[in-house]
Amino acid sequence: MNQASVRPMIAADILKLRRHRATMTTAVLLSVGMALVYFAFIEARHHGNLAGPQALSDGAALMGIYFGAFAAILIGAEAGTADLASGVFRDLVATGRSRTTLFLVRIPAAIALALTLTLSGFAVAVAAAYAGHGAAPAPTAGLVLEYAAWVALSTVVQATLAVGIASLTGSRPVTLVAVIGWNTIATGILYLASFLGPLRDLVLLIALGGLFPGQQVGTRAHPGSSIALNNFKLPMPVTAAVLVILAWAVIPAILGAWRTRTQDA
Amino acid sequence: MTPPIIETLGLTKRFGARTAVRDLSLTVPAGCAFGFLGHNGAGKTTFIRMLVSLTRPSAGTINVAGQSLSAHREQVLAHVGAIIEEPRFHRHLTGRENLQVIAAARGSQARRRIEPALERCGLSTRGNDRVGTYSQGMRQRLGIARCLLADPKLVILDEPMNGLDPSGILELRALIAGLVAEGRTVFVSSHLLTEIEKTCHAAAVIHQGRLVAVGSITDLIGDAGSLENRFLGLTSRAGDYA
Repeated sequence: MNQASVRPMIAADILKLRRHRATMTTAVLLSVGMALVYFAFIEARHHGNLAGPQALSDGAALMGIYFGAFAAILIGAEAGTADLASGVFRDLVATGRSRTTLFLVRIPAAIALALTLTLSGFAVAVAAAYAGHGAAPAPTAGLVLEYAAWVALSTVVQATLAVGIASLTGSRPVTLVAVIGWNTIATGILYLASFLGPLRDLVLLIALGGLFPGQQVGTRAHPGSSIALNNFKLPMPVTAAVLVILAWAVIPAILGAWRTRTQDA
Repeated sequence: MTPPIIETLGLTKRFGARTAVRDLSLTVPAGCAFGFLGHNGAGKTTFIRMLVSLTRPSAGTINVAGQSLSAHREQVLAHVGAIIEEPRFHRHLTGRENLQVIAAARGSQARRRIEPALERCGLSTRGNDRVGTYSQGMRQRLGIARCLLADPKLVILDEPMNGLDPSGILELRALIAGLVAEGRTVFVSSHLLTEIEKTCHAAAVIHQGRLVAVGSITDLIGDAGSLENRFLGLTSRAGDYA
């Protein structure tokens, strides 16, 4: 795949996503909008005391696990199905471009847009953490970067997962229900199922939680927030967490690429 | 000697127990408008889908401009423009943006052809409007503009007259004639016999997946009086052995 010739294709995929008003409006509301609502709500409840680092932790969970992740999944699902749903996929195939390339360019396009939104949402948390830390210490730049990197990692993996599943199923609704349902309801249940032991480490959000910079919910060091945003953090080896996260990105991408290569256009 | 623009040998496509295209061997000369006639469901679109690599043949070979499609897919399709069934677009994008999407896949030369293609198809002034606001005729013209991004040796139009009003049909005829005058080959699939008679120099007739006749329009008409009479004669007789 020639990098120079692929760049315009990624730009074209970004254009398709960016101009899809319904998707982008919803994604902006889910990410930046929800961050603004969340911190305005906390601000109102705590009279200006966001307890510094706790705002970062909540902001990272909000963007990497909850609403920001939903935005990334929404964008990934749109990226994975847009060409097929519009009927343009066959015209792209008829250009002679390899189907693998047509699939692969969807991933950086979805990631670019999703990252812009989730990091913007996280920037709201950073602003809140500095503006409203009250008596608690202001967060360090290093801590901000750690959380930002975790949000970016979560966004990249979840957008890639959604592109892969959407390309595999060819259906945006199925992708949204399956991925968001798994990440919220199923993961929440599995997190509490302690009898499963280390098997729980195979769940994406639990593996991401393993790398979460903050404390496990319930043992948090900065009890400034009245809303306990679950970060699905369980003790697990970093290597195991990295491998599980990688698998959750790579396996759906391989399946999506396989389907894109083999389906009749 | 210029190789034929399309040459298929024993082309067959099966969908489970059903055979859509059977052992079809066809040679289309370069630089003409060539009609591809058949009833609905005769196998025309399946044949075209194989020509542009949207679906794999169950058997047989395809050469385009002397190159094997299976061996040189990317090089072959780089010079082919096609509208398969009705032209489809991202409706939330403008006409110009839709061309940018395809041009991005075709390469930098194609990007430079966007404006001339819009101009040629009479869409310069509507290029910044969303495709969702276009009429059927405008979408058809945008489809042809999309074909022109390839600077194609071969333009494949599948049922291009469908849904067009009389002025749209006249515009399309003029566009096809213009493309042929530039030395390109236009392969027109249709069940509208009078249009093929008016637009094309030669044609092939397909029935139940089999090629039943091929030749110049004059030769095909022969003593039948019209292409319609010949077509009906060929396709009813062909049905006897299908």
